[in-house]
Amino acid sequence: MANRSKLATLAWRNIWRNRRRTAITLFGIAFGVLFAVLVTGLGDASYGQMIDYAAKMGGGHVSVQHEDYRETPSLDQTVRADDALTASIETDPEVLHALPRVSGATMLATAANSYGAFFMAIDPSREDESTTAFLGAISEGRMLEGPDDKGIVLGATLAENLDVELDKKVVLTMTDKSGEIVSGLTRVRGIVKTGAPSLDGGLALLSIGHARELLGYAPDESTQIAIFVRDHRDSAQVAARIRGQLQAPSVALSWEESSPELAGFIAMKMGSNWIMQVFIMVLMAAGIFNTLFVSVMERLREFGIMAALGFSRLQLFALVMWESVWIAIFGLVAAAAFTGPLYYYLNTKGIDYSAMVGEGAEVAGVALLEPVLYVDIYFVHVLAIAGIVVVATLAAGLYPAWRAGRVPPADAIRLV
Amino acid sequence: MSNDNAPIVKLEEVTKVYRQGETEVRALRGLSFEVQAGEFLALTGPSGSGKTTALNMIGALDTPSSGKVWVEGRDLSGLSRKQLSEMRRDRIGFVFQAYNLIPVLTAYENAEMVMRLQGKAEEERRRLAMELLAEVGLEGLEHRRPDQLSGGQQQRVAIARAIASRPAVALADEPTANLDSATAEMLLDTMEKLNRETGVTFIFSTHDPRVMNRARRILHLVDGKLDRDERKD
Ligand SMILES: Nc1ncnc2c1ncn2[C@@H]1O[C@H](COP(=O)(O)OP(=O)(O)O)[C@@H](O)[C@H]1O
Ligand SMILES: [Mg+2]
Repeated sequence: MANRSKLATLAWRNIWRNRRRTAITLFGIAFGVLFAVLVTGLGDASYGQMIDYAAKMGGGHVSVQHEDYRETPSLDQTVRADDALTASIETDPEVLHALPRVSGATMLATAANSYGAFFMAIDPSREDESTTAFLGAISEGRMLEGPDDKGIVLGATLAENLDVELDKKVVLTMTDKSGEIVSGLTRVRGIVKTGAPSLDGGLALLSIGHARELLGYAPDESTQIAIFVRDHRDSAQVAARIRGQLQAPSVALSWEESSPELAGFIAMKMGSNWIMQVFIMVLMAAGIFNTLFVSVMERLREFGIMAALGFSRLQLFALVMWESVWIAIFGLVAAAAFTGPLYYYLNTKGIDYSAMVGEGAEVAGVALLEPVLYVDIYFVHVLAIAGIVVVATLAAGLYPAWRAGRVPPADAIRLV
Repeated sequence: MSNDNAPIVKLEEVTKVYRQGETEVRALRGLSFEVQAGEFLALTGPSGSGKTTALNMIGALDTPSSGKVWVEGRDLSGLSRKQLSEMRRDRIGFVFQAYNLIPVLTAYENAEMVMRLQGKAEEERRRLAMELLAEVGLEGLEHRRPDQLSGGQQQRVAIARAIASRPAVALADEPTANLDSATAEMLLDTMEKLNRETGVTFIFSTHDPRVMNRARRILHLVDGKLDRDERKD
């Protein structure tokens, strides 16, 4: 053991013999890690934001709905959503909220005009900005109050098109459970302005009690239960756990299942990020290989003398591998020092890109309500990047270490 | 193995042919000699006569093209690579012409390096290394790195290291070639003293007549063969 620790000491001193070369190598590792952390952290944060946002727009991270609702999202595909069920779903430690909702298509008419819209009926007393994205975007009037509020909240463009103002009448028309056309009168309580065209031009918000009344639903009937989880990555597991509490025709779908386009978009982006990062890591490993290989070739005579003193092939191999280990460790330290401050800044302050994209940007049908990108990497991704750095550095050391062990001493010592 | 007359080193008809593309260099052409334990012996001869090659054969750094080499009665051709490595570590001490030391280690660390490889306990390593460094006149310089030592001081560290492993034979290939004559004399004094006090066999090569004449036996090599075996009494 004494012997092994001396190899580590020897290796440690060896890597500092050519400080400039080592510094360049460490800088290369630090730069590679910086790049990987920022790209991954930007992805983790923005995909997380998109997923959370999509959840707030519709069915939550996990959605309980009628098994046929995904195929034909009509108002007659309903599920039981009583308080006992939502309370029981909320006992899952990963679940934050389980909220009954009714959503579907409606026709809105005023004296001036009529427009089709997407309506979402919620219990305003149970929802906040963390579950309904546009609750914070009220620009005029107020939010609905309570589950039986008879009013309506409209998107700003929709209100303009319908030519209505606060407190003016709007007629709602939809197809009820039994396929009958039903109508109801409501008044505009508030106007939301999100900046996202699809919302501002086509969204209507109702109270769930009012919607149930119009549609002839039972008091515990809904088109979905929107379930919000602490971490969207747990959605599939939570969905699987909830399935056990449901009876047909109710099913629990994770956001990946209910928004396959978004899931596909994110998977594709992550795939191309990984390819780019693997490329950067390969370049980094090539740099480390070059450093170690050159340093071994420069020390052939020294390795020859060490072999003459009785160092075994394995010990010389281990010595150079220790040099790789130190480079990996010190490289990670340098990377942390280098990445930390920038990461902290981008994690807390973010990048405001509103000027770049302009108003009304949408990605894969998801409006970007907040045009600030934060970098927020998942811890497992930090571990993965660190692991890749260590593996790449050790792999880069293998051949130089093998060469060091096979130096023919007699020939090497003749080199002066 | 160790009856009084058994040689500690024996070469029998050793040849070494180096091939460089088409041309062959015959570095040794049937070299035979025996060395008894405790000898203080010089290998001499003009440049290219095969001194380094002969020392490399004895030190298990290189293998003969034909012929045999025995160290302490063991035929080196019968040993595995691992056994040869252990032989170098435990039975042979090396001193080369220059730049012998591991540059990142201090004089003390260099001196105890081989003992560390041998797995000797810290206390024993410390005692022996300090004792030998004092013996070669380097007291107080133990914590200097090689680049903070003169050429002669570096060679003396190398000698201390070669002896510290308690070898059967210490091999020194032109140990004084890079030293001025006063320093060379001092180095020879040190080697002689260690030979006398520890009984370790010294085989060194040189083409410097003054150094050569400090030996009690001189083997003159010419063209890879033994030309003359000169004993002084
Ligand atoms: N690796 C080698 N390849 C080719 N020729 C060599 C090699 N090593 C030594 N020689 C040749 O062998 C001969 C003997 O060399 P050497 O033992 O170094 O002599 P000395 O030490 O007496 O000067 C010389 O001609 C030298 O050029
Ligand atoms: Mg020579």
